[in-house]
Amino acid sequence: MSNTFKSDPIEFKPTAALPAPKSTVGPIAWVRENLFPSISNTLITLFIVFILISLIPGVIDWMFISANWSGTNQEACVSDGACWVFVKAWSQQFFYGSYPTDQLWRVNLSLILLFAVIILSFTLPASFRLRVSIPLFLVLPFVCIAILDGRLVGLDFVNTDLWGGFSLNVLMAAAAIIVAFPFSFLWALGRRSNMPLARSISVIFIEFFRGVPVLALFFMGSVMLPLFFAEGTQVDKLVRVWIVLIFFMSGYMAEVFRGGFQAIPSGQYEAADSVGLSYWQKTLLIILPQVIKVSMPNILATFVMLFKNTVFLLIIGIPEVLQLLLTALSNSNWLGGHAVEGYVFVGVIFWVCCFSMSLLSNKIERDLDTDKRD
Amino acid sequence: MFKQKTTEQIKAATRPTDTAAHAFYNNPKYRALIYQILLVTGLLYFFYTIISNTLGNLEAAGIKSGFGFLSNAAGYDVLMSLIPFESTNSYMRVFIVGFLNTILVSALGIFFATILGFIFGVMYFSKNWLIKKLSVIYVETFRNIPLLLQILFWYSAVLASLPGVRDSLSLGEAVFLSIRGLVIPKLIGQGGGSTFVYIVLVLAIIGIFILRSWAKKRQDATGQQFPVFYTSIAMILGLPFVAALLTGFPFVIEYPVLKGFGFNGGITVIPELMALTLSLSIYTGAFIAEAVRAGIQAVPHGQTEAARSIGMKEKKIMSLIVVPQAMRVIVPLLNSEYQSLVKNSTLAAAIAYPDLFNVFVGTALNQTGQAIETIFMAIIVYFAVNMLISFIMNRFNGNVELVGR
Repeated sequence: MSNTFKSDPIEFKPTAALPAPKSTVGPIAWVRENLFPSISNTLITLFIVFILISLIPGVIDWMFISANWSGTNQEACVSDGACWVFVKAWSQQFFYGSYPTDQLWRVNLSLILLFAVIILSFTLPASFRLRVSIPLFLVLPFVCIAILDGRLVGLDFVNTDLWGGFSLNVLMAAAAIIVAFPFSFLWALGRRSNMPLARSISVIFIEFFRGVPVLALFFMGSVMLPLFFAEGTQVDKLVRVWIVLIFFMSGYMAEVFRGGFQAIPSGQYEAADSVGLSYWQKTLLIILPQVIKVSMPNILATFVMLFKNTVFLLIIGIPEVLQLLLTALSNSNWLGGHAVEGYVFVGVIFWVCCFSMSLLSNKIERDLDTDKRD
Repeated sequence: MFKQKTTEQIKAATRPTDTAAHAFYNNPKYRALIYQILLVTGLLYFFYTIISNTLGNLEAAGIKSGFGFLSNAAGYDVLMSLIPFESTNSYMRVFIVGFLNTILVSALGIFFATILGFIFGVMYFSKNWLIKKLSVIYVETFRNIPLLLQILFWYSAVLASLPGVRDSLSLGEAVFLSIRGLVIPKLIGQGGGSTFVYIVLVLAIIGIFILRSWAKKRQDATGQQFPVFYTSIAMILGLPFVAALLTGFPFVIEYPVLKGFGFNGGITVIPELMALTLSLSIYTGAFIAEAVRAGIQAVPHGQTEAARSIGMKEKKIMSLIVVPQAMRVIVPLLNSEYQSLVKNSTLAAAIAYPDLFNVFVGTALNQTGQAIETIFMAIIVYFAVNMLISFIMNRFNGNVELVGR
């Protein structure tokens, strides 16, 4: 009784899929779906397009086509467009302030060191990343100050009055947040502590520095702080600002860390307790690395805020980039009204820095957010 | 850090010896006490040092501390004040003028920032690609540029390039915009009739609240809905209008008239105030838009689908299902944005808008040298305003919060 019915096994061959209807794919369908889905939307789209058409060519023409690119002084700006010569002539001032021209490599070196440490902290093998990068970070501000000041490392002394420009904004923000890091961690621990006095002191500190306008803090730094030191003590202006920024930042960062602490499952604490770790072993070896990881996006957001706030130094007369721009605008050789060019230039620099940092923070957040991805 | 040990070894190493375990310094209670005593002593010593240093320094500089200077004549003029002010008035008066100006710019900023923020936040969810991108561009541009830069840009690049007073841009000969600011017509009430209209307006506002609670009670009891929104609008516009008609329209509109190099009459909005309000509301609006977006995104999609499946209209879904749930996320964020707007209003100092910080901490401090007193008073004000905002928003938050069962 053998099966005599024999044939080749039938291979299942699906018929080729029909192409999607023309009305649902392709650029025309996309345009119809996204720009003209209904009558009211069509009207809005046409209105926006009309505004864009009437604005963009003018802006592009002003910025690029009829702009003045070459030359060294105001006379070079002959056409109607933007006078980028102004920005070019002042660019060294904008970036480095009055730092001596032959010593600029020191500023560059400091910036390179900063970026090197940041890149290292992302690329080192995870097994010893924190153990290497945290000490590096904590040493960095003091190394940079030594390089820029010069006296300690045997270079020419450069007075802090000469430091300035965009590099000062970057370095000041970085130095403030780095030194604020350990402080804020302590405040956050204090706020979570079981000791009532420690907790209330931390709460008062954090809320004070978060609640006071940063400008008031700067005024306190420049007017009140000198009163706090013993008579005759001279504290450098930049150091005073630095102290203020550190306190300001540690208030905000303490809240960031508190959020991080709350995100750590209590099982982590219990597990650390159960293997007999001491409080500091538990905190530094188990909790801190996880807190840093989960609060990374918020740390970056706080840094962006601080970085934008360094512009406020203008009000107490520190020569940061905006202050230098105002000086340049009131210079008697450049009285042609180059305000728009200057503001656009500084604005674009800040925008690029802050936007890239917020993109980075979004990316880190997405990488961390592994369980909610759909 | 830790070598591999057997369990027995670990037990042996960590088992407390009798003496150490009972030592008082290993008792967590005493330990906490000792740490706190140390902390407080350290802090007290710290404050003692800075206070004694400060007193010594003040004495050396010949500055008398105390609030006595508040009653001295200020001796300088303030660019703009909501209450009458002359340079012979006291520093206390300067303080009040500055405070009112801060409140004015903060209130305007909060108002416009909220409107901008909600419009652009909702625009993100538009089906129209262009509108969505417009919202993204707005948020990402203005959030990432320092506020001070924006203030200076509006003030010294945009508003400074407006035409002079004589060639002002005008809207129907009633509203004028020039380099000296914005001039708008002023509504002046006359006699008892106008007071009656104002009273009716206040009554209408109170009536709306009563109407709302009545409508809610009725809906809870009978399920019948009442068009509260349209009735409210009709009440707030209609009742004062009727009152005005009854009293024979007791108002005069004062139009600004160009005279010499300035305008007579009307309300003048100085360019400093315009620049500050513009930049504060655009900057904070970007953050609020982000908050609104986050709030709407936090509402699970199932909620919308469920509402659709029981046949609700799209408008009703938005107002009854999505927005109330989104508000739970939005309100706490709004709270902190409003507070930072008030704090950021201190940047008025950059363009010489006479807010509290500028006229009091800036000028008065320079003239009197009373650093600690002036800064202390200013900080107290900002704390108080922010606590008020926080209180109101928390009350509001209580209304939108999920009621736990």
